[in-house]
Parts: sequence; C-alpha cells; structure tokens
Amino acid sequence: MLVLDRLAKVYPNGVHALERFSAEIKQGEIIAIIGGSGCGKSTLLRAIAGLDRATRGTVTLDDIVITGPHAKIGIIFQEPRLLPWLSVADNIGFGLSDAPSRVRRDKGAAALARVGLADKAKAWPRELSGGQAQRVAIARALVPQPEVLLLDEPFSALDAFTRRDLQDHLLDLWADTRPTLVLVTHDVDEAVVLADRVLVMRPRPGRLFDEITINLARPRDRHSAAFDNFKRRVMTALDRSLDRNVPDREGKSMSGEAMWW
Amino acid sequence: MAMTVELPIRENADVTASSAPSGRLPRWARPALGLLLPLGLALAWEIIVALGLSNGRLVPPPTKVFATIAELARSGELARHITATLTRVLAGFGFGVIAGTLLGAVSGYWGLARRLLDPTVQALRAIPSIAWVPLFILWLGIFETSKVALIAVGVFFPVYLGVMGAILSVDRKIVEVGRAFRLSGPAMIRRILLPAVLPAYVVALRVGLGLGWMFVVAAEFMGASEGLGYLLVDGQQLGKPAQILAAIVIFAILGKTTDWLIEIASAPLLRWQDAFGRADGAA
Repeated sequence: MLVLDRLAKVYPNGVHALERFSAEIKQGEIIAIIGGSGCGKSTLLRAIAGLDRATRGTVTLDDIVITGPHAKIGIIFQEPRLLPWLSVADNIGFGLSDAPSRVRRDKGAAALARVGLADKAKAWPRELSGGQAQRVAIARALVPQPEVLLLDEPFSALDAFTRRDLQDHLLDLWADTRPTLVLVTHDVDEAVVLADRVLVMRPRPGRLFDEITINLARPRDRHSAAFDNFKRRVMTALDRSLDRNVPDREGKSMSGEAMWW
Repeated sequence: MAMTVELPIRENADVTASSAPSGRLPRWARPALGLLLPLGLALAWEIIVALGLSNGRLVPPPTKVFATIAELARSGELARHITATLTRVLAGFGFGVIAGTLLGAVSGYWGLARRLLDPTVQALRAIPSIAWVPLFILWLGIFETSKVALIAVGVFFPVYLGVMGAILSVDRKIVEVGRAFRLSGPAMIRRILLPAVLPAYVVALRVGLGLGWMFVVAAEFMGASEGLGYLLVDGQQLGKPAQILAAIVIFAILGKTTDWLIEIASAPLLRWQDAFGRADGAA
C-alpha cells in the first residue's frame, strides 16, 4: 500500500506547486494522474520517487516513510534517459549494479527479450528509435522488480501509433509481476486505457480535484461505448477542474483564492 | 505493428545520413587528398630551385631539408634534441594535466570551491603565459625546472577549463537517473560523471598538448643547449635555414604523432559518440 498523506510542496520562489494531496494506492493498482499544466502532477511524482522532498506531508510505502530514492520504487521519465556510453544491454543492467555479473546478464537478457529488443543488446542508445529507447527505459526500470513504478508522461514524446503500442505493451509487462503503477499523463485516452483509477488534479495550487474509478475489464476496447463514456467523464472533470469557481472535493469554494491569484 | 513498418526506413536513413558527409571517396583516398596540396607545393618548389629560377638559399628545397634531417640523424644529434624536447613536453604536460584535472574537477563538482578558486584562475589565465618566463628563471633557474614549469602552465589552463566546463555541463537528467538508482557518491562519479565528461576531457587534453608543444619552443628559446628549439635558434644565428626547416618539420611530425596517440588511446572509450561524418557511425 502506497499512502500519500497531505503532501505539499512550496518551491523556494514561493510557488505552491502542491497542496494537501492525499491518496491511498493499493498494491498492484494502476493510477493515472491527469490535470492541466501547473497542477503539480510532476511535482507529486517526484516527491513519491524521493527525488524531491515534499515541503509537508509524507509518502509511505508498506509502512516505510520514503525520504529519498528507494529500491522498491522505480521511475520512468518522459525521455528515455539512457546512458549514451553504455550498450542497450548494459543500460538495462544499470539498475542491477549490486548483483553479480552473471545474474545481471541473465536478467538483463530476459528483460530485453521481454520488451522485444533481444537483437538490440549490443546497440548503442543513439541507434534506437524513440519507441525502442523508451522500451529499453521501461525494461531498465522493471529489471530490479520494483513494487511501485512511477511514469512521468512516458509516451508523450512518441507518435500516436508507437504510443498505443507501448501502452498495450506496458499492460503486458505489468501483468508479469503486477507492480503498482502511478502514471502522470495529459492524455485522457491513455488514462482510460491504463488506469484502475484516474485522479484529476486542479492547478494553482495543485490539489486533488476528482477521482474516477474505471471498472472496465482488460484488455479494454478503445472503441466501445463504455470506454467513450469514461473518457467523457474524465474530460468533463478536467474541464471543471480548470474552472476556478467550481468547489473542489473538500467543498470549499476556490473563488476567493482565484481572485487572489 | 507500427514499429515494424517504420523501423527499417529509419535505419536506412541513418546509414545514408552517416555516410553522406564522407562523400563517395574510398577509405584510403581521404588522407591522400589531404596530402595533395603540401606535396604539390613541395614538389613545385623543388622543381623551381632545380631549374635555377630561385637559388633556394633562404627557402631551401625539400631535398635539402631532408638531407639536413638525415645528417642530424646520422650524427646522433637528432635523437639527442628530440629526446630533450620530448622529455620537457611530456613532463610539463604531465604536471599540467594533473594540476588542471584536479583543480578543474574540484571547481566543477563543488560550487564553493568554484567561487573560491575560479576567479583567481581566470585572472591568472588572462596573463600571457610567456610573461612568466623571467619570474620562472629567477625562481627556478635557467635549467629544466623553469622550462617544465612554463609548459605545465600552458597545459594547465585548457585542461582546467575543459574539466570544469565538462562537469558543469553534465546533463542533470542523466545525473537524476543515477540518483533514482541510488548510486553512492563515488559510484555516481565513476559511473555517470566520468563517462559523461570523457569526450570533453579528451578534447581538453589535445588542446593542452598542442599548447605544450607551443610552449616548449618558447621555453627552449629562453636558453637551452639542446632540444628542437635550440636547433631553431642555432639555425638562425648561424644562417642555416635548412636546419630551421628541419626542426619545424620534426616539430610537426612529433606534434601530430602525440596528438594522434591521444586520439587512438581514447577512441575505444568514445565509440558511443554520435560523431558527424563518422563512416562507421551506423555500424
């Protein structure tokens, strides 16, 4: 269980990026966080990853308070961020540096085969296409078998076909060990395809606005009426989140603050 | 399924893109093309002198220069002068690289040290290094120490700047990957920072070495009884232009060879780089 308790982040320049964000995420659940720009969704993800400390509030994973990068939490960024001086195989092995080299090689080769790039083991990262590089990044993050995998708009830099391909592939990989996935996205389609729950955030200051449970069986048909229905609900919530006069979840009107801003 | 469609196209594009800048020339023809101009000029001058159109006294023809080199080599003089110069360059280069790397690394890695150290180093850098010569002679004497010190000063600055700049420009996003995988400080340096700064470091070493060769001439001008710089001064004082040109040719050969050695030594470590116009780039 991943517990976010009243997380808040104030940047040194006084910007309130995140305010009182709380959520409980069950092991193996897939959460999509969606919201307009400046709603603090990346800030939130970085706080969970332990890359940035929250100003207030705590992140707890199975009763361990997260204060820095943790072995059980992996992260995938918008860019693949492969190390250009390591071969594809060595990039995947990077997350296993503590393991003996034979274990690293075997696990790395298995992970590479799992993402369908076994023939690219000796290639340099620069020789990969955008989609291939992101597959390698996913494999690198999954190889240490994290309990929680954070994804910060992982497919937003890819073309539409590759994006769909990788979304389906991500679900495939998730089914292997069922880690908790927390995905930040601004793509409604992506959120509804992947998530068990969609958390909609509102900007300035970033806070939780709405929560939509997607109880559709997987694999989900992107063309079904039910799918469209959920997409519409998320879209409506997103529209409302950007309207400052709508009260948020705690029932307090934001209009006063909106005027102050 | 989309991937299988677009992939081959992309790879083909890579191949053509990386082989295009090298043109259609076969591998051996490229250095040959570069030699065409100097060899042509040398040959032309040789013919002009041979035909008596010029006496070649101030600008001796290539055959005379090479005869001088052969003569120096036979008498053992050449080996003595080359050894002296090479020793000075290597010693000065060594000290300069060590100091430049250490201080550059400290300044690049640690902000406080940079604010403390860098303004002074930058101020010292503004002084033309030759200006130190009188002081070095007073402090260190007229023999080897002052020469090596001058070369070391020349090598120090590009290496210092190169290392510091390279560390400062390491991609924060790549460093974050190291943090996400919980690398310790030393592991972060060894596995992220060192490989990331290596390309710029090699460039800094090559620039430093070039300056080292420049400064060895200045150092040998300030009074030496052996070395290629001594051959230059001696050739001027005794009116032997062939000897001057011989020394210059040997400087060129040594400078190019040592630079090439750095390039060869670093090549296996830099194979991952996306170099423009590299023929084996797509392999």
